Amino acid sequence: MAAQSLSAVDVAVAASTAEAAGGTPPRRRRGARAERLAPLVLLAPAVLIIAGLRLWPLVLGINFSFTGDGDRNGMMVGFDNYLTLLNDPLFRTALRNVGLLVLLLPVAVAIPGLLATFIYLKVPGHRLYRGVYFFPAVLSPVIVGAIFNLLLAFDGPLNALLGGLGIGPVDWLGDPDVAIFAVVGVHVWATFGMALVVFLAGFATLDSSLLDAAEVDGASLPQTVWHVIIPSLSRTIQFVFVTTMIGMLTSMFGLVYVMTSGGPEGSTYLPEYYVWIQQGQMNQPALASAASTALFLIMLVVGLAQIGILRRAGKED
Amino acid sequence: MPRLTRWVVAIPMAALALATIYPLVFTTNVAMKTRREYVLDRFSLADSLSWDNLVKAWTSVGMSRYFLNSVVVVACSVGLLLLFGSMAGFALARLKFRGSSALFLGVLAALFIPFQVIMVPLARIMADTGLVDTYPGLVLAYVAQFLPFTIFLLTSYYSTVPPDIVDAARIDGNTVYGVYWRIMLPIGAPALLSVGVLNALFCWNDVLISLLMMPSAEHRTLMVGVTSLRGQYSDDIPTFASGVLIAAVPVLVVYLFLQRQIADGVTAGSTKG
Repeated sequence: MAAQSLSAVDVAVAASTAEAAGGTPPRRRRGARAERLAPLVLLAPAVLIIAGLRLWPLVLGINFSFTGDGDRNGMMVGFDNYLTLLNDPLFRTALRNVGLLVLLLPVAVAIPGLLATFIYLKVPGHRLYRGVYFFPAVLSPVIVGAIFNLLLAFDGPLNALLGGLGIGPVDWLGDPDVAIFAVVGVHVWATFGMALVVFLAGFATLDSSLLDAAEVDGASLPQTVWHVIIPSLSRTIQFVFVTTMIGMLTSMFGLVYVMTSGGPEGSTYLPEYYVWIQQGQMNQPALASAASTALFLIMLVVGLAQIGILRRAGKED
Repeated sequence: MPRLTRWVVAIPMAALALATIYPLVFTTNVAMKTRREYVLDRFSLADSLSWDNLVKAWTSVGMSRYFLNSVVVVACSVGLLLLFGSMAGFALARLKFRGSSALFLGVLAALFIPFQVIMVPLARIMADTGLVDTYPGLVLAYVAQFLPFTIFLLTSYYSTVPPDIVDAARIDGNTVYGVYWRIMLPIGAPALLSVGVLNALFCWNDVLISLLMMPSAEHRTLMVGVTSLRGQYSDDIPTFASGVLIAAVPVLVVYLFLQRQIADGVTAGSTKG
């Protein structure tokens, strides 16, 4: 990689030198002003777009969440929207489901971590697994959701398989107590490859002499994982925790939209789906903004808490 | 790890690999079946490899239109993202000017604002400026969404380019723009490829932004098209599966050729950051 880009550098420099030597006299004086303004010119499109379409809407949205909908459009209503949210069973379900996601987070991190460890330790077939496991992670949630609509249908393949084992059919997407687990399960299935690849990148930076030393000392696999791998990869683990959580909070819309549309009985609502329904279907943009702001706060709190917890855990080692 | 343990571990891992591939294999098989065949037995291999469902999904169902919409939107979005991203990345990494670190912090902050949090006001801004339901509007929304990530990645890549190269090129009479165009763009090719593929996937796979920005049916992107199939073809599963397959195949092809670049983009920032 380094050698490759270095040769590209050489070629580029040589080309530009040849060009400059070949004629056109340096136009330094005339261009001095343009030169000084260069950073401004190069950054202008990015700054305008990010400021105008990301930072400004954030401010606008927070402000918007304190105004009313419908008849009270544009009026300041204080925390009314937030009170409405807390009293809305659908939003409460969405929050409860976020709690469930947070509880499942260690599992969603541990599975790819363990699999990456085995791949790193070169179990038979290790070359194949990475490529296969990573693939669903690049598929759209829409495609994944559509496929699992077929697989999890009441008369679908999974129930047929379970029926063969003598386990009665489960209404995966139609039972309010089951559906959220089905959706989260599919999300984990579809995205564990992402975390796996990040873990493998972490392993690539691992000092292999540590592992050799552990092996020489006769450490068992769990001991090696606990005393060598986890401390060495603390940075990667932290990264995976935070990105997996952000993924759970912000990239499940497609799955919920395709697999359950929030149902049955609103049991698979997530904050992002709630925002979409209030904005797109119920025409209550101010309430939707309040839900958005709540989602943002949840992300900040969960993200900072995780970093704090992991930092502390890291220091104890 | 002892030999035996290796093999014991390999068995569930192989099973998981099969479980990872199976859903797509199942869908492909269903897409090849006739409706009758599917109703009679959903698991058996399709009797004849029939392209009828795929043709139907492509033509009469209208997937071709959605496909084209997606291709145009993704191409424009990725082009602009790479252009603006590399300009900003070069300036932030290799030009000295006041406020550059503050600007980089602003980009980082924007990176942590998910679309869901700003979608209501963004929809209003787009409506006020007449950009709702237009291709430029959707492209702009994608560029805004993925630009912070693009800048972040390209800035860290350009930070690894030795400053001597920029200085040498300047001494040779290049303007700043010349350095950007003749040196930085070619040097950045590996990073541009990686971040370009990743952005293409993000845009291709998106459904939320597209749903919000493109309400009318003829402007649908492919993923929104797939979601609309579900309601329309709930009793014609092979056609539905064909639509899903059409949307998945381009991703599969890109994945087969550019897996490493995708992984590089995903993992950037995980070990250094």
